[in-house]
Amino acid sequence: MRIVVPGLRATVQDRGRHGHVREGIPPSGAADPVALAAALDLAGCRPDDAAIEIVGLPFAFRCDDRRVIALTGRDVRVRMRGRVPGWTSVLVRAGEEVVVEGSAATRFAYVAVSGGLALATVLGSRSTYLATALGPIARPLIVGDELPLGPSDAGVEAAGRRIEMPAYAGSARAVAGPHDSRFDDAVVARVFATEFTVLPESDRMGVRLSGADLSATGDDLLSCGIVAGAVQVPRGGAPIVLLADHQTTGGYPIVATVIHADLGIVAQKAPGEGLRFERVTPAPATRSS
Amino acid sequence: MTVRLFGDRAFLIELEQRIDPAIVDSARAIADAWERRGLGEAIPAYASVVVQFDPARTPWTEASAAASDLAARPPTATSKAAGRLIDVPTVYDGPDLADTAERSGLSTDELVALHSGSEYEAFFLGFMPGLAYCGTLDPRIDAPRLHSPRARVPGGSVAVVTGQTIVYPADSPGGWRLIGHTELKVFDPTREPAALIRAGDRLRFVPR
Repeated sequence: MRIVVPGLRATVQDRGRHGHVREGIPPSGAADPVALAAALDLAGCRPDDAAIEIVGLPFAFRCDDRRVIALTGRDVRVRMRGRVPGWTSVLVRAGEEVVVEGSAATRFAYVAVSGGLALATVLGSRSTYLATALGPIARPLIVGDELPLGPSDAGVEAAGRRIEMPAYAGSARAVAGPHDSRFDDAVVARVFATEFTVLPESDRMGVRLSGADLSATGDDLLSCGIVAGAVQVPRGGAPIVLLADHQTTGGYPIVATVIHADLGIVAQKAPGEGLRFERVTPAPATRSS
Repeated sequence: MTVRLFGDRAFLIELEQRIDPAIVDSARAIADAWERRGLGEAIPAYASVVVQFDPARTPWTEASAAASDLAARPPTATSKAAGRLIDVPTVYDGPDLADTAERSGLSTDELVALHSGSEYEAFFLGFMPGLAYCGTLDPRIDAPRLHSPRARVPGGSVAVVTGQTIVYPADSPGGWRLIGHTELKVFDPTREPAALIRAGDRLRFVPR
């Protein structure tokens, strides 16, 4: 597959670099795991294959032979002969240019191609971690990049399959804690009663929010391990929801944690957009994910 | 020990909240035990362990019971004999050396002698790839975090804050006090394992 238009920042991502967290290595992987999984499924890839995560459209590519491709993300569509909505498997002819388009609400788009990206894993993953240049392609993709693909015999019968797009405009479900006891009850209540605003400084490390002061009380915390979805509250009280490139440990208290199934809802919020958290307890959250 | 909810696929097990090598060892032993059960990854730190699981493989109730069980009957910490001794050749030329010595009431030579005169245990790795939190730093070295963190600390910087010392594996922002630097590459993604220092290793800073 050849990159024709690279977007603002397109990187190779998979489910993440798990198994190295005790070396301080962030999991990386797709910022929106639900969209990644859907793209891979629709393109007939394995769940542990890699796709391309794109920030800043348009993005365009060609494949040397016939492939089934899928595009997911928020408000995305494919332009070829005509326009095809996202979240649909599409048969692409050899050499045909595929343009990925979005709207002002699009933040992360995912392109998967049948056969998968045939790249070697680095520390068990094909994901790109730009901060310390980890991954088989440890940089954003550029015009002219040629990515090898695995074998695919996908035909027309594989096209036209659809997966429902998540409700990206909706609220994100979150569990209170683990450090909720370090916050006044009124502050914890505020987490689930406030419409926060997404700040433009947000990236794959985390989504920064304004809208309420969530300052903790009491002593400083000893650094502890972190998972994606943690709503961390630094001094100053403005929360950050941590995403795929989060640090493996941190010393700021975590007032709530977004459930795994809704990480994409947080990641896909556009700067200036509102974000609400819906309080859930983990057992039902697990069932619905 | 307390088990706290951490989203829908992890728990936080909290030990007594202070920096103490014995507590660090217990946290590591709990993390090892969780991973031995094959439930998922665990992240030990000073006085806590995050234990993760995949709800598609392990139902929440089962993972919750396993976490509570580990907290109620923690495994005994393994012997420290497993750790290796790593020499870190260090040039003591950091921009915060003089200030840190002065606020500690020491000459720079005395501070260097104190820092290089003891062995440190690598408690855990975190913050960025290959960064090992090591201690315990001599309490005579008074090293609170810098008021405003530096936007860029060069990789290889040897740094201290109260009770602890680290080597920055790569350029990064940072609020620790820089007292020297080393050419030793503590993180190299082309190496296996990429991180030079493992939790439980011992470090010795050797003045150059």
